[in-house]
Amino acid sequence: MILYLDSNNDCENLFMPTARYNPMSEKVEGKISRRRFITASIGAGVVGIIVGAAGAWLLKPEVVAEKTVTTTLTREVTKTVTATAPITVTPPPVGLDVVAQRAIDGVKSLIAKGAAKPGDTIRILHVAGSRANLEKAIELWSKYIPEIKIELITLGQEPDVYTKAMSEAVTKAGTFDAVTIFSTWLGDIVEAGLARPIDDFFSKYDPGYTGDIAPIEPLASYTTLYKGRRYALVFDSDVFTLSYRRDLLTDPKLKDQFRSQYGMELKLPDTWEELIKMAEFFTKLNLTAPSGGRVWGAYFYAEPRFAAYITWLNIFIESGGILFDLKTMDPKIDTKEGKYAFDVMLRLKPYMPPEAITASWADLYDKFVKGETVFTAAWPSLSKEAHRPTALVKDVAGSAVLPGVEVDVAGAKKIVRAAPNPVNWVAVISNYAKNPELTYLFFQFATSPDIGKDVILTGVILDLFRRCWFTDPKYRPAFEEGYGSEFVDAYLRSLEISFPDLLIRGGPEYLGKLTVNVNAVMAGTKDPEDALSETAADWDSINKKYGVDAQLEAWRALANLFPSDVKEVWRAKGYM
Amino acid sequence: MRNNPPKIITYLANLPLNLLLYATLIVPFALMIYLAFLAWNPAAGINWWEAPFTGVNNFIRALSDSRFIAALGRTAAFVVIVVTIEFFLGLALAYFMLEEFKGKKISLSLIIYPLMLPWVVVALIFYLFFQDYGPMNNVFLKLIIGESAQNIHWFLSSTTAFISLIIADVWQWTPFIFLVMYSGLSAVSKRLIEAAQVLGASSRTIFWRIQLPLIKPLVLIAVVLRALEAFKVFDIAYVMTGGGPGTSTETISLYIYRVAIEYHDISYAAALSLIVLIILVIIIRSFIWYSFERGVKR
Repeated sequence: MILYLDSNNDCENLFMPTARYNPMSEKVEGKISRRRFITASIGAGVVGIIVGAAGAWLLKPEVVAEKTVTTTLTREVTKTVTATAPITVTPPPVGLDVVAQRAIDGVKSLIAKGAAKPGDTIRILHVAGSRANLEKAIELWSKYIPEIKIELITLGQEPDVYTKAMSEAVTKAGTFDAVTIFSTWLGDIVEAGLARPIDDFFSKYDPGYTGDIAPIEPLASYTTLYKGRRYALVFDSDVFTLSYRRDLLTDPKLKDQFRSQYGMELKLPDTWEELIKMAEFFTKLNLTAPSGGRVWGAYFYAEPRFAAYITWLNIFIESGGILFDLKTMDPKIDTKEGKYAFDVMLRLKPYMPPEAITASWADLYDKFVKGETVFTAAWPSLSKEAHRPTALVKDVAGSAVLPGVEVDVAGAKKIVRAAPNPVNWVAVISNYAKNPELTYLFFQFATSPDIGKDVILTGVILDLFRRCWFTDPKYRPAFEEGYGSEFVDAYLRSLEISFPDLLIRGGPEYLGKLTVNVNAVMAGTKDPEDALSETAADWDSINKKYGVDAQLEAWRALANLFPSDVKEVWRAKGYM
Repeated sequence: MRNNPPKIITYLANLPLNLLLYATLIVPFALMIYLAFLAWNPAAGINWWEAPFTGVNNFIRALSDSRFIAALGRTAAFVVIVVTIEFFLGLALAYFMLEEFKGKKISLSLIIYPLMLPWVVVALIFYLFFQDYGPMNNVFLKLIIGESAQNIHWFLSSTTAFISLIIADVWQWTPFIFLVMYSGLSAVSKRLIEAAQVLGASSRTIFWRIQLPLIKPLVLIAVVLRALEAFKVFDIAYVMTGGGPGTSTETISLYIYRVAIEYHDISYAAALSLIVLIILVIIIRSFIWYSFERGVKR
């Protein structure tokens, strides 16, 4: 077939080429004839079938299984790591902790009983950022249990994991056996029917959630329990700490100057009120950062994409605010605690770089490691970044517990400190997993004290959560090296006073609406009172959408897992 | 004259294409329409076919959803502004590029270059461009207003954030209009222009009375295509401003994305999408009627 373009210069025709096809002609103007085309097509088809069959024979499954790295061709799966080795006798594990040992024994028992067989594969859906961590876990797993293969289904961005997991809940296709999710999504994932309860496996295999090796409470409970049942294994911790420029905070001249101006000591702030004064002081000094940029007193999240809620929520909870009424599920954010949280943030605003309201979350990291902010708060990875050899603050970055709010508890003044734990990766076993018990055992192994230490120290996005990693001399030096010793101490305290994201169904939606309004207030496009009343109205609609009673049950269970200081204030205020 | 092949052969030959079309386009579209009348949310733990039928509730909800209406209005304003600017800029560039001059080929390549970039890349470029420390403040505005340019925070005000989105879109898509207009103007018969010149017509008259009327179909195609694309704007709003400050630069696509993916309110998102589709069909159809079919007797 040949397409002819009219030589007529009429522009309308130019864009409407006329196709002329003479079906009777066998050969047209030296082009391929129809007969030759058909012959060639059939020939190509036959050759294709032969080549395909040969390829399939050459790459039959047992040959593929011997490869250590395989790249898949699907769009979502960026790469697949298959941890295998020739099937040999399992070497006896030496010196592993009891949690990992129980996992290994459990797998062997399953194989012995025929409940799992050599060559079985566990498929894990996860985000690209945790790939290095999981590859380390696979490497260690294959040393002890080479019979069972692990396949990683890697997705690029966090929201992709959520979308894929929710799709799986709808299609029930069994495309993966486990997924690592933000604990914020736990309510949605459980209610959608994707997460398998794992209380039975907990009882049977004991993943070490008690005693000195246990993950720190309340984090261990609020990230894995939903309505009183266990649905996840802790895989990470994401509690915020205060990071600061130690060189500026301890400078004798600056300390004198601050004392003379504000009548108080320049030190780590105990409250947000103190922090505002210090932020003002440092901002007005117009200092030059090691990067050459300006030094701002503070940088706390207020950006529009997802992180703005974190700062607001922290101050709100510390001032004794409760998100919902524990009897009616009515939103309780349009209250004096909600207004106070905005008040603190708005008073801090002049001492924060404007990018705090506009840039993405990573900008906070960038500014701190360049020495451009004195006080900031973020995930533990900020401390890792600040201690890298290339960081301009590597020798002067300090860590502390976030400041608190002074509240009245039963007639006495008390500073309540709490630390938010936004997102936090946890491992969930799919209800549609081919072998959920086997899958569970992999995660018990990967999060055990010995193996988990190596897994966490390998990558970037996972952070420490077991008490022994902070306190046991066998583990602590490795974490001190990675994070800095001051951070390890501050982080342990922060974990103990940490509170969860809104881990009920619709959690991302509730927090998304809050983020948009916090950002609008900080940008000056919305009044705080309007923002609070609008958010409360939105939250009320979400409650109704999912059913007030069901949401109330989840909220009551979650509220009980908040840190004890916070609950004490709730009780004093009659909220609890 | 050759006989047509039997109908069964025609059907069989078309079958693969039809199957593909149904599987990838018509079935999902029908499903979306159906979902718009349900109250389905994946987090509810029920299958979509088990979701309760709610009639037109989602559509009624949309009419009272101030965020949806604001996003719709904002997107419409965005479309009108960017398409107008891009059209006149593209047409002017095309007109001037009709002349022969040294370096024309390089200039053509440079003009078309932004069109080749992925949307996300353009968004990132302009995100950095409009940062407080970015070239807009530190190079361009500094030359005009001096050091005070440092105090302009583009993404902190609703107006300047919206303007930054417009500039990014105009930069990327003016070349598209240019390309279409340039192709059209180049194809206009030189004989017509020469004849007009012989009769004493000025350049302006030739442009308005001969060249532009002849490329009218192309103008329509370019404007309609561009308007449809501009209405779907997502990437630059998502990357550059995140829809902020607050929701002041949230476009309709970004809002529907949030409803569907972040709030997983799939049925409501389907209803919003349908409303947008209907509005677009009405506007585009009216535009085509006004431009081409008005006054034509059949």
